[in-house]
Amino acid sequence: MVNCSIEELTVIEASRYINDGETVFAGTGLPLMATMLAQKTHAPHLCFVAETGPIAPVVLPTPLSVSDPRLQFKAVRLGSLREVLGCMLQHGMMDVGFVGGAEIDEFGNINTTVIGDYERPKVRFPGSGGGNDILSHAKRILLITRHEKQRFPKRCNYITSPGYINGPDERARVGLTSKKPQIIVVTRLGVMEINPATGRFQIRKLMPGSSVEAILEATGFRPDLAEKIEEVEAPTDFELTTLREKVDPQGLYSKKV
Amino acid sequence: MTRNDNKVMTAREAVEKFVFDGATLGLGGQNVGRCAMAAVHEIVRQGKKDLTIYGCNLSINMDILVGAGLVKRCEAGTGNLEYFGTTFCFRRAIEQGVMEMEDYSHLGMISRFLAGEMGLPFMPTKSMLGSDMLNYQAKSTAKKYEIVRDPWNPDDDILLLPALRPDVALIHAQRADATGNVVIDGFLALDVELARASKHTIVICEELVPEDRIRNDAERTSIPYLYVSAVVEQPFGAHPAGAYRYYDYDADHVKHYQKCAREGGKALEDYLKRYILDSENFDDYLEKVGGIKKMIALMKSMRRMV
Repeated sequence: MVNCSIEELTVIEASRYINDGETVFAGTGLPLMATMLAQKTHAPHLCFVAETGPIAPVVLPTPLSVSDPRLQFKAVRLGSLREVLGCMLQHGMMDVGFVGGAEIDEFGNINTTVIGDYERPKVRFPGSGGGNDILSHAKRILLITRHEKQRFPKRCNYITSPGYINGPDERARVGLTSKKPQIIVVTRLGVMEINPATGRFQIRKLMPGSSVEAILEATGFRPDLAEKIEEVEAPTDFELTTLREKVDPQGLYSKKV
Repeated sequence: MTRNDNKVMTAREAVEKFVFDGATLGLGGQNVGRCAMAAVHEIVRQGKKDLTIYGCNLSINMDILVGAGLVKRCEAGTGNLEYFGTTFCFRRAIEQGVMEMEDYSHLGMISRFLAGEMGLPFMPTKSMLGSDMLNYQAKSTAKKYEIVRDPWNPDDDILLLPALRPDVALIHAQRADATGNVVIDGFLALDVELARASKHTIVICEELVPEDRIRNDAERTSIPYLYVSAVVEQPFGAHPAGAYRYYDYDADHVKHYQKCAREGGKALEDYLKRYILDSENFDDYLEKVGGIKKMIALMKSMRRMV
């Protein structure tokens, strides 16, 4: 691994969970970077969809917003929120939903709304956006975030977007259509995945230089351990040069992990 | 409203005529794309107050109205400017308890506009189930949602959300004719559903075009005149947001606004005074943010992408 920063490897590792031909709904920032990297490496036929309506655009570097014209370039259609969130996501057509930094708890629930009281919060965050819709309906959910204790509490202060809520069967009980989605979080320390049998995260892979202890130290809950914990594979030259030259040439996002 | 009404007026006239204290406003566009900023500025100049804002992603369009102290409540999916940070006036107003926020997901809000535009009282959705959006609500909300059994699949629950019919929708579009036929270029976000759900729609357009141009290419009409009450021609009227095919968003000015909004207090007051309250109209504001040189640069930046 020549000169690859851990931030870059995190984006590269996240891109590996997207398969060729899949439909992918990704937010801007690191999720979009990883999606574009997948498209320009092993998944040339993935269909990227942006919330505001663009379907299968050829994304130009580097979009700063889902409303960015760089996300509309050569799309096959420039549609609407209703088409993307309703007619694709809720309809059950989205293979992958990919979102970024947030408070994530042991059941994969996400808080992007408040810390403290709902009406008089200590900190007010932006809110759900399409995040709740992604976690409600996508078949596979990818998360990428900074690995800090306060970002991985045992329980979210407020569940904006449902993971496994509080147990393996809870999504089915509350009426969600996608009952046992795959939920994977990639950080600079490793990869954790929800075990559908327990509804809780387990450690699946370690980044170079990381350890189970390092993850436990930086996590507010105690994730289980997968039967076999693997090392994240080193980046190929192709992955690394594509990321640097074609996906994030200005390095706007790759530093933010 | 008859078929051939000429609805062309200034932003000042449109806001005077259709926006009132206590009105519910629906904001079109998304984030830094197609925000109806010319209408927002005029509302600030006229000091229309006690407003309720509806939308999916609310950004600088909402944040300026909140910063000016004109908003008592929002019902929306998000307040943020993505890469440029959170919407600081929005955040502060909620944390200080001076503004109510009622949270829905983006699809939740779209479903509510969908009910509104089709004359239905509510719309079912499978989003938001199992989330705390169903466990917490703002004090003045009477009934946020209902969960029912699916009549055709009695083992399954489904969420019903109430229709929204805003008093006024504020839409920014690339082109419109004098009677209010509207053409939007690029993504549509929520604008079509929003306009059809609202009692009145104010359209700010980059270019006023002859009716024939609409009639010769009617598949491209995003919103027909029936839903539109006022048409305002204001080139660069979405600034600092962008308008697809016309001009890119102005990242420098968004950053400048964010700096003032984050600091709050005098920095925010100075921003509102300099750029909005002390401006005669939106053209005046455009001069202050860089004038023709800046606008040409934003146009050129867009031309490289379309």
